[in-house]
Amino acid sequence: MGLELNKVTASVDALGASAARRITDLNQRLPAAKAMLSAIRVDDELMKKIAAARAHRWAGAIPSSENINAVFPLPPHPARLNVIAADGSQIYPDRHGIALYYLINIGSIVFRHGRDEAPATNSTPQVFFEGDESDYAEEAGPINSEMVNAMRDVRELGELASLAVIETETAPTVTLLDNGLLMYISLREHNRDFGEGIITDYLRHLDTLRTCGAIPVGIVDRPRAANVVRLLNLAKMELSEITSDSLQSTGPFAGITDAMLFAFLKPGERSAMFDNAAPDNDRYEKKKHRIFFFYLNAGRPGKDSILRVEVPEWIATDRARLDVAHAAIVEQCRVSDGFPYTLMRAHELAVVTAGERREFEQMVIGSLMRQGIAPSVSQKAQGKQWTGSGKRRYPR
Amino acid sequence: MNEMNIGRLLRSATTGYVFGCSVPEPEVPHFGMFVKAPAQRGQSEVVGLIYNIAIEDDLFVRQMAATPNLSETYIQDQRANRQVPIEVSVLCVGYRNGGQYAHALPPQPPITLDWINTCADAEVRDFTQRHDYLQLILDAPDAPADELIVAALQRAVESRPPEDRERYRREAGRELAKLLSRDLPRLQRLLKRLAP
Repeated sequence: MGLELNKVTASVDALGASAARRITDLNQRLPAAKAMLSAIRVDDELMKKIAAARAHRWAGAIPSSENINAVFPLPPHPARLNVIAADGSQIYPDRHGIALYYLINIGSIVFRHGRDEAPATNSTPQVFFEGDESDYAEEAGPINSEMVNAMRDVRELGELASLAVIETETAPTVTLLDNGLLMYISLREHNRDFGEGIITDYLRHLDTLRTCGAIPVGIVDRPRAANVVRLLNLAKMELSEITSDSLQSTGPFAGITDAMLFAFLKPGERSAMFDNAAPDNDRYEKKKHRIFFFYLNAGRPGKDSILRVEVPEWIATDRARLDVAHAAIVEQCRVSDGFPYTLMRAHELAVVTAGERREFEQMVIGSLMRQGIAPSVSQKAQGKQWTGSGKRRYPR
Repeated sequence: MNEMNIGRLLRSATTGYVFGCSVPEPEVPHFGMFVKAPAQRGQSEVVGLIYNIAIEDDLFVRQMAATPNLSETYIQDQRANRQVPIEVSVLCVGYRNGGQYAHALPPQPPITLDWINTCADAEVRDFTQRHDYLQLILDAPDAPADELIVAALQRAVESRPPEDRERYRREAGRELAKLLSRDLPRLQRLLKRLAP
């Protein structure tokens, strides 16, 4: 029968009521968190607590040299600036499909502020399949969607790096990624080598970006992270109270996110810079790419847009280039109402629509048939096609 | 005007076709222009008149239209990279098979991605030696017939040497008088528009 909507009415009502209760509850507790942000003192005691917490793989925020409740106004935008954005899309492998393959498509745009010309746009699809010697990662075992995502993320950064090498010759160049810069991969044991290879490639691309003088930035829209909130909770704790268990929650601030905390930022303003204490960051630190972050209101009066912005340490500690990134993001968001224009365009260039996916599958079928192979999907997939193409429903 | 490629066919029917092109140049395409498309595997050419040039919007463009101080780079991105193809609608008014033009609907429409070319002056002159195609314009349900007749006849006049233009205008006027003998106000409006 499929989804009988009348049977979920009560659950949907309960969902709405729960969301309303949750918002009321968070709004009641938020002032205490904001007060804590203003009251917190970065001293030896706090740093000892942070050190103790990090021993338990604490993923909080480590204060930088900037006051943690500091607010930085919008810096001027350079007259001439390049903004490069890349985004990826994919067709995941389907073991029930006509053949085992997957596809990654990377879209990119080079936007040259101050030169009144159309930006350069590009879209690069790549197909991977069994027996392909290029990059199928066969040794890592059956490919799964998480591995495809990781490969896509690396290719996005690789695209930015290769374009930045050219564009940094002409003007300061900001590169934008529609994601945090700190890449998380949680692969199973047998995929560890694959994960190592991915991170190695990713760090190599960051090396290229640093060498060519680019300003790499990762943007997270509607962030749900709570690194700074974890710091606030940690500051409330006694050193002796810090254990793996006590660090599991954010105590009185449970449910509050950093974005809620920094909702006081006015359009154009950014928060202080923080170091991400997540254990994954240690790997980046070894290559001198430790990832820092701040929050930025990229909205306009009447419509806030709190973004989380991640940068490598060599940008976080370079105020002049940080200001360029800050100004570039706000300018980009001004045009597209709260999210960078170039990232929207990169997504548009990368996205593989359902129709394109069907057409691609037809191409694969044609190729198999030309080789004398009769392509067929699994019976399970066939069943889905039969039953999912258009449900018959009779009134009762 | 010389013949030139101005777009590729998107969809077609016996009565008309739509082709796509990138950002319009100042001179092409424009309303009332004679264009041609190959048909029947190149055996014939379908002659048509451009009667609509449509530039679609989307939510992205609408958002940007409300943004103050939009720099030229954003505008060029939307125009050159995104808003393509611009859709150009053409009314079929005849076809050429061998050396002869027929003022009638073509036996077969052009097919997807065929090149669309402008008609050179000599082709416009040849095609408009007779005026039977005017009836097809008057009968078109979707095209703005009167405006299209005026634009097409002006193009036909321009394709002729100056010494021949007045004679051509008079002949075209007489043909319109026959076609619109029962609608004198409309005829009068058209003749007024055709006057040099």
